[in-house]
Order: sequence, then C-alpha cells, then structure tokens
Amino acid sequence: MKKCYLGVDVGSVSTNVVVMDSDENIVDTLYIRTQGKPIQAVKDGLKEIESRLDKDVEILGLGTTGSGRQLASVMLGADVVKNEITAHGIAALKCVPDVNTIIEIGGQDSKIILLRNGIIHDFAMNTVCAAGTGSFLDRQAERLNIPIQEFGSLALKSKAPVRIAGRCAVFAESDMIHKQQLGHNEEDIINGLCEALVRNYLNNLGKGKDIRAPIIFQGGVSANEGIKRAFEKILEQEIIVPKYADVMGAIGACLLAKDEVSKTGKTNFLGLDVAASDFSVKSFECENCPNMCEVVEFYRDDELVARWGDKCGRWSDVKVLSKEKLA
Amino acid sequence: MKITFPHMGNLYIALKAIFEELGVGVIPPPKCNKRTLELGTRYSPELMCMPFKITVGNYIESIENGADTLFMWGGCDVCRIGFYNTLQKDILKDLGYDIQMICVEPFESIQQIKNFLKKLKMVSGENNYLKFLTIFIKGIKLLNQVDEFEDLVNKIRPRQIIKGEVDKLYTKFEGEIKNVKGYKETLNIIKQNKEKLKKIEIDNNKDVLKIGIVGEIYTVVEPFINLELIKKLGDMGVEVHRSVTSSEFINEQIDFVPFIHSSKKEVHRAASPYLDTEVGGHARNTIGNTVLYSEKNFDGVIHLLPLTCMPEIVAQSILFTVEKEKNIPILKLVLDEMTGEAGYLTRIEAFVDLLKRRRESIFNEKMLSRS
Amino acid sequence: MTVKVGIPRALLFHEYHLLWISFFEELGAQVIISEKTNKNIIGEGIKNTVDEACIPVKLFHGHVLNIKDKVDYLFIPRINSIFKNEHICPKFCGLPEMIKNSINDLPTIIDTEINFVKSKNSLKNTIYEIGKYFSNDYKQIMSAYDKAYLKFKNSKRIIKENPFSEVNMLNNKKIMIMGHPYNLYDPYINMDSIDKIKSMGAYVLTPEMIEDQYIFDYAKKFDGRLYWTFARKLVGTALYLIDKKNIDGIIYVSTFGCGVDSVVADIVEKLIRRKSDIPFMLVTLDEHSGEAGINTRIEAFIDMVKWRDISENNISAHG
Repeated sequence: MKKCYLGVDVGSVSTNVVVMDSDENIVDTLYIRTQGKPIQAVKDGLKEIESRLDKDVEILGLGTTGSGRQLASVMLGADVVKNEITAHGIAALKCVPDVNTIIEIGGQDSKIILLRNGIIHDFAMNTVCAAGTGSFLDRQAERLNIPIQEFGSLALKSKAPVRIAGRCAVFAESDMIHKQQLGHNEEDIINGLCEALVRNYLNNLGKGKDIRAPIIFQGGVSANEGIKRAFEKILEQEIIVPKYADVMGAIGACLLAKDEVSKTGKTNFLGLDVAASDFSVKSFECENCPNMCEVVEFYRDDELVARWGDKCGRWSDVKVLSKEKLA
Repeated sequence: MKITFPHMGNLYIALKAIFEELGVGVIPPPKCNKRTLELGTRYSPELMCMPFKITVGNYIESIENGADTLFMWGGCDVCRIGFYNTLQKDILKDLGYDIQMICVEPFESIQQIKNFLKKLKMVSGENNYLKFLTIFIKGIKLLNQVDEFEDLVNKIRPRQIIKGEVDKLYTKFEGEIKNVKGYKETLNIIKQNKEKLKKIEIDNNKDVLKIGIVGEIYTVVEPFINLELIKKLGDMGVEVHRSVTSSEFINEQIDFVPFIHSSKKEVHRAASPYLDTEVGGHARNTIGNTVLYSEKNFDGVIHLLPLTCMPEIVAQSILFTVEKEKNIPILKLVLDEMTGEAGYLTRIEAFVDLLKRRRESIFNEKMLSRS
Repeated sequence: MTVKVGIPRALLFHEYHLLWISFFEELGAQVIISEKTNKNIIGEGIKNTVDEACIPVKLFHGHVLNIKDKVDYLFIPRINSIFKNEHICPKFCGLPEMIKNSINDLPTIIDTEINFVKSKNSLKNTIYEIGKYFSNDYKQIMSAYDKAYLKFKNSKRIIKENPFSEVNMLNNKKIMIMGHPYNLYDPYINMDSIDKIKSMGAYVLTPEMIEDQYIFDYAKKFDGRLYWTFARKLVGTALYLIDKKNIDGIIYVSTFGCGVDSVVADIVEKLIRRKSDIPFMLVTLDEHSGEAGINTRIEAFIDMVKWRDISENNISAHG
C-alpha cells in the first residue's frame, strides 16, 4: 500500500490538487479552472485524481489552502486548513531550502514573501485590486484576442517596449487601446503589459522590501516567460521558476497535512469517494439587525454540515464547527 | 557647491536666476519626464500624492547631474507637504546620496525670516543682508514676469492663425533661458520673448471659450503632471486662466510687504459663503476662484487635484453646491501616475464641446428674447 | 421637552465619546448616537460622499444620515487642532462643509471650531460656544464640562491601568494593533480584526494603552516635525515599542486613500524595519475589501510570529 497525502488549493481562478507520497515526492498534480464554481471544481478535481491514482494508494491526510480553504475543508474533511501565504512559503522552502524571496502571482491575488534562514520573515499581499495579478493579463489577452498561453512567447519577441499606464485593469485597457491606435505592434504592446504588471507589482508589494536572491517565482502567472524576463530585467537578478510552480500552494498543504497527521496520528479526511456526495448550498439574508448578513448553509447529501457568513455568530455557532474554521 | 530644487512649472526660471545672483552654481532638474515619475514612484510611499513623487524624481535626476545641495520648501501647511522634506531626506539617504538639504519654512514670524537669511548665508557665503533683500526682490519680480509671460501665452495660443507658432516660440524661450545667467539676462530674455509673442498673428474676432483652472498648485502649474492640459485646451481654441501660480502663491505669503499685491483677500471673500476657514492646501482658493470665475463670466472651470489630496477633497464636496448655485460647469480631473492619456483627452474634449453648446444655447436664448 | 443632540458614531467619536456624551447629558440634553456601523450606514455613506474621500469620511456621512432626522442638533465640530502646535487631517477641518454640501434636510449643526494650535486658552470659549446651545448659564456649562472631563480622564486611566506589565507575565503572543482610533474601534470597518487575533490566542494591545507621556517623549526622538496629532501618537508608539521590545508583532490598520497614513504608515514601517526585528504588517482596508483577504493576512501574520519563536528556540537549543 502506497501511503500518500493530499493537498487542495482552492483559488479564485484555479483549483489545484497535489498527491505527495510519504517521502515527500510528488506523485500527481492537477490544475483546473475554478470558473466561479469552487464546489464543482473540488469535486471534479478529486474525481479526476482518484481515476488517475493507482488502486493501492492510501490517503493518510488532507490539507486545504487558498481562498476557498474553509469550503474545501467542510466538503472533504481536512487535517489542516492553512492560509496560502504560509502554504506557499512551506512549499518554496522544500524546493529551494535557502530561498530568500518568493514572488507569487495568482489569478486575483499576488504576494511577496521574504524568508530568512528558512523562516518567513515578512510578507505582503496586493492592496490595489487587480494591479499586479494574473487577471490583469487575462483581461488584456481577451481584449487582444490572443490566448494567454502565447502571451509570454510573444512578449519575448518585443524589440521596442511600450509603456502602458493604468493602476487597474480597466484603465490599463483603455491605455492599451490607445497605444494600439497609435500603431504600436502587438509584441511590443504585450511586452508593455508584462512590464506594467511587474512595475505595478513591485510598486505595490515590493516597496521597501529587501528582495534578495535566491528568488522563486511561482503561482499561475509564473508560466509566462515574458513576466519572468521583465522581473529579471527590473530586479537584475536570476529568477527561479520551480518545476511545480503553478501548484505550490497545494504542495504546501500536503506538507502541512503530513506534519499534522504525524502529530495527531489520525486524519479527518472523509475519503476520496466523498467527491461523489451531493453538495448543495442555500443562503438567506438574516434580518435580525441592519447588517443584513448573507448567511450560507452548506449541505452534504442533504445533511446540514455548516453555516457561515454571519457577523454575530447567531447562525454559525449553532453547528459543531467553530467560528474561526469558517470563512 | 551645486544647488538644485524641485520643479514646479516655470518656478525654476526665477530660482535659477536668484541662485546665480548669489554666486552659487545651479543645476536645475531636467524637465519632468517619464523617467522622473518612474524614479519617484519607485522610491516614494505608494499612496503618497503625485507632487511628492515627481519631486523625488527631480532630486534624483539632479543629483545624477552633479547637484550636491537641495533647496526645498516645506512645513507650510496642515497637508502632507510639511512632511515632504522629512521623508525625502530619508529616501535620498537610503539611496546612498551624500547631499546637503536646505529647507525653507514659511514666513510666519521675523524669526523665520532670519532663519531663511541664515540659510542663504550658508549657501552663498555672502554676508550682506541688503544684498539678500535686493536679490529676493529681484526673484519676486522675475517670477511675476514669467507668469505674466505665461498668461499671455495662454491668451494668444487659442487665437494664433498658424497653429503651433506659440509653442515653437515657447520651446525656443526655454532653450534661451537655459543659456543665460543671472537676473538681468533672464529678465531680458523674458521681455524679448514677450515682444515676439505680441507679434504673432492672431485672429482678434475669434470667439474663444474661457476656462479657469483651480485646484492644487502643483497639478495646475506643472504641465507634466496635468498632461499639458493648458496647451491641449489652447489648441482646441480655449483661453485658459490659471488661478493659482507660483507668483500668486509667493505673493500671498508675503503680501504684508508694502509693494506686494495678491488677490488673497478678494478670493477669501468670494469663498466665504461656502468656506470661511483654512482647511489646508489651496482648498479655500479653489472655492473662491471658482466663484470669481463665475462672476467674470467664464464658460467653465476645471478642478485639478492629485489622487488622495486631502484639502481638495473637501473643496470638491463644496464645489457641487457652487456649481449649482453659480450655474457654472465644473470638470474635476484627478491626477496620479496612472492617469492614461486617452481617457483624459476624451473628458477634456467632451467638456469643451459641452461648454460650446452651452454658450450657443445661451446666445440663442438672448437672441430670441430680443426679437 | 428635552432637546435631542445627535453624535455620529464615527471619526473622533471613537476617542472622545465619553467626554462629549457626558457633557451634553450634564447640560440636560438627550444624546442620541448613531447605530453601530452596518451595511446600510456604509452604503448610504458611500452614496452620499465625493468619490475620492476616504472610507472613514464616507462612514461619517453614513452615520449623519442615520440620525439626522431623529435629533434637534447634530454635533459636528470643526476640529482644526486638539494639541498645541499640532494639526489634524484637513478633512476634519472641512467636515461641517462637506456634510452641509452633501446632505440635505439637516437639523441645526453645532459646528463650533476646536482649535488649540496656538494654545489651549481658547478652551473655555470653545466650551461656552458649544454649551450655549443648551444653556445660558456660563457656570453651569463649565461645571458640566468639568464633570464630563473627569469621567473621560478616569476612563482613560482605566485603560492605562490594564498595562503591558501584566500582559508581560503571560506567555501569550502580544500583538499591537495600531492606526487611527476610528479604524481600530469600529469592528465593521476592520472586519473584527481585534477579535480575530484574540481568537488565535494572542493578546491585543492598542496605542491607547500606552501612557501619553511615553508617547510624547518617544515622539520627540524622531528626526522631523510631527505636526499631525495622529502622526505624533503613532510614531511615538512605534518608537516606544522598538525601544521596549515588549511586543511580538505590530499590525498597522490603515484605509485606502488616507493622506495621513500614506505618510505615517511609511515612517512607522521604516522605523520598525530598520531599528528592530519586530514582525510588521500593514493592512489597508477599503469598501471593497473582502473578509477572506483579511483573514488570510492575519492568519499568516500570526503563523509568522509563532514560527519565528520556534526557530529562535531551536537556535538556542543548538547553540
């Protein structure tokens, strides 16, 4: 029987699943688009992984992370529910033990994590909407009608960079259209967008931070060669993109789950076939006070398993699950 | 010693001449450009206002050109400007620049004037207070002359027959200023160019719109920050008047001196029904000047402010009422390093169209009522 | 019939509520305070304030709307300066104008100027100006103020007597949350940050728990003029913590578009990073902030604080 751990990272843009064996080797990874349906994405992801795994694999523990970590935990039964900053830090340390800086750019969030001597020393997340995140590029790719996968290689062809201004995606878009109308070619505009993202990222998150090598670049956007080059150009440092750069959060969750299970000696994981359960959500607006909280009720196979969304605890306290375990 | 200072529109012309009169080497910062802003944005606190960022960029570029002493003004206000010098000193130190800083505080008392003179002494090695005074007066005079020249530029630009002639002259003027030294030569250049400007062929009968500019001083007087707003409007055939200028600002600070005049009292009186107190920055002037523009039958007002500017946000909420009560259209333009040219131009053009149509309809109404 | 005076539960209310409420009550007025911030108040505030304003000012507008129809007077003093030689955010000085120009059908506004920039000599005048709305008796007004002030002072002492020393003996992590009082003490705007940190087993401290005199003294050590009261208080707090080393982490809660914080948070962050090893995090809130984002940041921060501890212990164990 092969003993493994499962890591699930439910982000706003993608849902990632990682299977890791007890010697911390990656057995399988999966990256699927969340598309606004986190429950479906988790179900699909788990089913897909189950069909791909050998029959003799035993899952010893589950870790969840990402903005949907509480949801995934309620669905699947997690041993550890960790914020994505810590999870990313743990995973990066595993890849490059002396890493000093982690640049992480995902769909709607971006982070910078500084580590010193193997511990997280400082971090920051984006404060201004989409400034330095993947959705900034997605939106412009859509506008230019170019698949986002080709963005990086096109940017590398640019000879004369164009400066694109705009703190948020909408304003950048109007400036980009303006530059198109001035007759700049596509590669230069795409490269301009990559540099704009890097500039926004560094101005928003990198300010006052001592960005020291080794630097790891991870998250969904790290697959984009154009962004990597823009970082190398501006930081004048080598940027390492690890092999599993797009699923690092889930890897971190695996590592944390392994650690937790080794301490407790048991797991909360409900098993891979839990993915076949019927999950449903009902919500209502509580009218008890002017806050009018939207309370969410979560059902697994018609059984109410959790409630959240209220500020006062009136509803979420009803259930066994404690308040801080809910989003 | 090589001294430098931040850019604020044409202020550099007077500052350069003053320091040259004092016998100090001057390195004016390169004209504000994309790199200035990029450097400034990189090293400034993220949510700081844009004038701060531009100023940081100015300093870095001047230091790269050899400046070793910075001249700045600060402490004037309840708004952020009073912190500029503290933060900028720190940023430059952090970048490893070894420079001397001279910061001028506002003249609220004799002691502060004395401090100012002491600082001048430090810069120039000059000891004669009388000489300081004459140079100071010369500086004020230059500043007033430059602003008069600029006002004329803004008057003639919309009326020029051959488009671009005024700007060609202005660019040449800037080049000439670079090559002259001291008060007399600078004054001559300004006067010569004023004469040349008057000779530009204009269409006197042209029906031009008049727009007044109010708001925070940096955004009004520095063309790089307001994306050449005044030139753009001029080219659309609009005569532009700036209510805040460097000369007016200085005059307001020292109008207790007998021969200095400022419109401070008039502006404050005009503002008083809406805002009768200082809330920092130029908020009170913004309100007062908008009222005055409406009384002088301007077609519209443009309100400029840097993103997150505290005093102008107060002004902005009051301007809603002024706009309604005085029946004068106001366009608000918020500026920061992320302002894109395209959207900006669209708004200005649409505003000018609106004013044109408005003027036509007012004209038609008058004709109708007459017949 | 008793006169009703309304106070919006926003901005400096969070610092001076005891003083203001007891003063008006001593003068026989009925004090009505707007409800705690809720979705409706914030929504109305955003709708009725200029776009560029910061969220605390928008909230103030929302709170005014919440009580304006229930009261005879609204207390919106024009606060220019609350300490000698110090100013306050320019938006506070223009607050009465902002309200009058953005909201219709207002009751009488008590917009007396509070300005102690030159000296506190004008205090009595200011009190009388405000009191005049409720009484003609100078003596009665002054004694009402004295009583209210005593209450206010005593309550402050109670906060201060819940001191660091006591907390020091406990083994829990001590986290300082700093920022403007109206961001710290309005749980709606900071999404219950304080309770969240407490629920993770940490002690929460705020700048109000530090003796005023310490803050004054430490702020003086700063190289530069701190002419905003908020700046002096927060920079003084930071320098105190750096020197005393009695804190495990510092979280600065700020709001997007706050001019004061764009300066002060930067100064504080640089001081802490250069002169200490205390973990620091800046949380910037705006009306679009999602609770998930705040949770992630706070959780990660507490993880970081705890993690550092483990590694330090390891080092000492080996060394």
